[in-house]
Amino acid sequence: MSLSRSLLCAFLSSASFAVPGLAAANTLTVQITADIRSSQPGINRDAGTDSVLLNVVEGLVAAGEDGEIRPMLASGWTVSEDGRTYTFSLREGVKFHNGATMTADDVRWSLEKLLRDPEYSCKAFFDGSRDAKVESITAPDAKTVVITLDRPDAMLLKYMAQAQCGSTAIVHRDSFNPDGTWKAPIATGPFVFGTWKRSEGLVLTKFADYAITGDKPDGYGGRKEVLVDEVKYVVVPDTATAVAGLRSGALDVLPYLPPSEAAKLKDDKDFTVVAAPHGGLVTMLFQTADPLMSNVAMRRAVVAALDTPQIVESVTYGLGVPNNSLVASASRYHTAAQDKGYIHDPSAVPALLQEAGYKGETINILTNRRSAINYDTAVIAQAMLQAAGINAEIEVLEWASQLDRFNSGKYQIMAFNYSNRSDPALAFQTVVGSKAKNANAVWDDPAVGERVNAALQEADPAKRQAIFDDLHARFLDQVPLVMLANGLDVGVSGPRVTGYRTWQGFARFWGVSHSE
Amino acid sequence: MKRHRQNRILGGVLLGGFLGAALVGLFWTPFDPMRIELRGKLQAPGAAHWLGTDEFGRDVLSRLMAAAGTSVSISLVTVLFAVLAGVTLGVVAGYARGWTDRVIMALNDALLAFPSMLLALALLSITGANMYGIILALGMAYTPSMVRVVRGSVLSLREREFIEVSRIMGNSAAYTMVRHILPNSLAPVIVLATSMFGSVLLTESALSFLGLGVPPPAPTWGNMLASARPHIAEAMWLGIFPGLCISLSLLGINLAGDAIRDRFDPRMRGL
Amino acid sequence: MLKFAFSRLLSAIPTLFIVSVAVFGLVRLIPGDPASLMLGDLADADMLAEARSAMGLDRPIPVQFALWLGNVVQGDLGRSVLNGQPVLDLVLQRFATSAQMVLIAVGLAVLIAVPLGMIAAWRQNSGLDLAIVALSTLLLSVPTFWLGLMILLALGLKLGWLPVLGYVSIADNAAAGLVYLIMPVLTLVLHEAGIIVRMARASTLDVLRLDYITHARAKGLSESAVLLRHAARNAFGPTWTLIGLILGNLLGGVAVVETVFTIPGLGRLIVDAIYARDYAVVQGCLLFVAFTYLLVNLLVDLLYPLFDPRVTAE
Repeated sequence: MSLSRSLLCAFLSSASFAVPGLAAANTLTVQITADIRSSQPGINRDAGTDSVLLNVVEGLVAAGEDGEIRPMLASGWTVSEDGRTYTFSLREGVKFHNGATMTADDVRWSLEKLLRDPEYSCKAFFDGSRDAKVESITAPDAKTVVITLDRPDAMLLKYMAQAQCGSTAIVHRDSFNPDGTWKAPIATGPFVFGTWKRSEGLVLTKFADYAITGDKPDGYGGRKEVLVDEVKYVVVPDTATAVAGLRSGALDVLPYLPPSEAAKLKDDKDFTVVAAPHGGLVTMLFQTADPLMSNVAMRRAVVAALDTPQIVESVTYGLGVPNNSLVASASRYHTAAQDKGYIHDPSAVPALLQEAGYKGETINILTNRRSAINYDTAVIAQAMLQAAGINAEIEVLEWASQLDRFNSGKYQIMAFNYSNRSDPALAFQTVVGSKAKNANAVWDDPAVGERVNAALQEADPAKRQAIFDDLHARFLDQVPLVMLANGLDVGVSGPRVTGYRTWQGFARFWGVSHSE
Repeated sequence: MKRHRQNRILGGVLLGGFLGAALVGLFWTPFDPMRIELRGKLQAPGAAHWLGTDEFGRDVLSRLMAAAGTSVSISLVTVLFAVLAGVTLGVVAGYARGWTDRVIMALNDALLAFPSMLLALALLSITGANMYGIILALGMAYTPSMVRVVRGSVLSLREREFIEVSRIMGNSAAYTMVRHILPNSLAPVIVLATSMFGSVLLTESALSFLGLGVPPPAPTWGNMLASARPHIAEAMWLGIFPGLCISLSLLGINLAGDAIRDRFDPRMRGL
Repeated sequence: MLKFAFSRLLSAIPTLFIVSVAVFGLVRLIPGDPASLMLGDLADADMLAEARSAMGLDRPIPVQFALWLGNVVQGDLGRSVLNGQPVLDLVLQRFATSAQMVLIAVGLAVLIAVPLGMIAAWRQNSGLDLAIVALSTLLLSVPTFWLGLMILLALGLKLGWLPVLGYVSIADNAAAGLVYLIMPVLTLVLHEAGIIVRMARASTLDVLRLDYITHARAKGLSESAVLLRHAARNAFGPTWTLIGLILGNLLGGVAVVETVFTIPGLGRLIVDAIYARDYAVVQGCLLFVAFTYLLVNLLVDLLYPLFDPRVTAE
């Protein structure tokens, strides 16, 4: 008996070393739902990978809290009259994780390597296929880097700062093996990339020589002061398990939580729920080339049948903010004109249906189970449409299959989320386009396309505002899709954590402290 | 033998109860099982909603009743599919042996080694996520284990004296198979079939969990159970009631299965 | 015996070939591809076409299959598109994780369930029998994603006896590794015991009705001698086939249990790979699973005569 008990004790005590959260006091333990795809920023990535790596790497510029551009490794920049030449002056005394001091030549080499990499996820933004082409990158002196474009492009810095582009991170040459293959990031961020146990998790440690700049955290820019020794990411695919882990103290932060779970934890004083909308779009897309949905009266009927604030309230458990404009609710361009939304009016539906010549055909709504928001949206919308006399049915697809239907344009209505778009012009660019050229384009109107291009190239805020207001009026008139709300990321932190905030769906761990 | 009869009655009552509920559910339910009432979601069982409401405010009792028909018919048809295909192939393979056996078993093992999820994904992408696709996918996933079990027991049977005698008496292979091998290998078939019945309900549940089951808003016990999981902490009843339906219908069919087996088993005749 | 084993292994080759062709075809039949998943909602038509051609997906499927098969014959299962790791390493590592859990669980389930099934058969139609049948039926009808979560909430969270999440390989630290295995193994044992009890009960019932048991009883042997010496051995045959099936199935991965208990096993690898359309990994895993499956069933058939002397392995 005593033997078995002491054996059990030995088991448990030896096990406790391995239990996340019980190890050294200053470790912040964080859930990730899937392993990161690679440790190379901007290459073989997904949103989860970006979120981890942007604690390690930095680019010349960064996106601030409001989506505008802030200096990061560059202390400032100038744009030439013709809008084609960007001259960056570099911050002094910036160190790489291996102790080397960053030079203009390091920056030139790193940018050259990344932008010319055929696997770079954002290369279309820099090679002329979507926007301007980067013609040359030079380092005229040790503190200056010059990027020259083939034509003006007001979006260049936004593209460079985008998380999907790995923030166009600057890494040291030794991040690569001698044969040119990737090894591990040696970068300039506040955390050092530590051990990575594939499919189990990874550890980031504090970079002691990090050169702090700015006076407060500001998006991916500003002050990045690390208050813990290390951040340990643990792969926990199941939400229920992760919540149990949070309650037991094995996890400190769950950065991505379905709203329904967060709503339950909100009333518990031990936990801090943080929710913030970002520039992503929660939508129901119409296939405007579909025989039935091509009729604008039909689309108006659907929109009149939907109580969109009620849908948003319900699918986000009160955490989301309804927004019927493609201009994000947190954007500086979201003015009173953008507040104008759809009118929920079931009594207007029969007339609109008659105008559309609707004869009770079934309308198929595609959705998936990966996103609780998409799934719940489809279920509620289907019930609302049925109640208004529109014969809607739901088809649930597995995510990759739905994405395939999105890319091929084969759907009537689809509950779909777009990831974060840091600027209203990018949000419009995402949905607007020629279906003949890109089957996944939603809003096919050449006049609108021209306006969007104008917004992309315009730098003057007042002129941009006028374009966005005009676009929103057309958007409400043509209803090419139903815009419900901006993307919402919800995170929760445990009782020992202070200072964790969510921003644009990213989990940043500077400025976050952890007590025993 | 008294207890024996009690078990049979219990099995009959359970099965009858569910079939009855399924029949009634076709024509009448206390509330509209599809009606969403967002202001009344996740209500605990009470006077208005006897078994509470779900995450969309739909009446759980009405959904269970509506689900009974779908769930029971998916299960029965799938098991029937697996039994017919499995017994035929298993008896042929086990009795003929040689090349016939090898070919059947090579195909069978290939199918058996296949994860049912991939099979379901592939088949459902062709047929669309509907009842027939699910029955086809599940039926194909369940057939191979039936083949193996039947073949195993046929292998053991064909060495028995009475099969030898039938052969020596000059009976054809087909006659021997149908008349002697088949009835004697039914016992494991019935056991497997009855446990399959529950397993099908659960696999349909797992498919719904992955988003591949019977499409919403139509309820099945499986998809109700799957969508109840996130609410395990604050709305236990959402999972317990469909779970109980699966458990009790399974118990019923198992007890009934025992009775059927006794009826079919030649050695039990006259008892 | 050896000759039989050898010919069975030979006959596994066509099975494995069928599996490869079917898997290769099926994963490409499912809509969606790794290129579009990688690009997500950022894709335009040109980027998609380029990514597809970089992954070799624009070639005709038979050509892709021939290339893949050629590499497999040379022992190269390719690399994961998700993280660039060699498929063979991934599969072997994940299999070891799943196998240790499954072998322990099935071993325990057999030790508990077979005697229970026999007792139930021996006391057929008694209260004890009904209790065992009802319990096993209940266990059969609780999905593992529920059972696992209940166990996790009870033992891990409410009682705090076991760590809620994390994983340590037994190879790294045996004691800690076992601690992390308790809950997943318990879940599997409870679930699999249900069906084994029922099969053991049914086949014992079958044997108890046979003439030689009546003879043995008539000879005046004690009930325990009849049961243990005569009935048990012969009744184990069909149960043994079933155990082989269960083992083969579980060794292919127990995705749900692995997901609930954060165990990096083969089942989760397969499911994740299917979701990510990581073709090389799906193909490699399934080929490996099919091979394991055939091997387990060969062992089962080779050992069958031990339990049922009427059957010869040849």
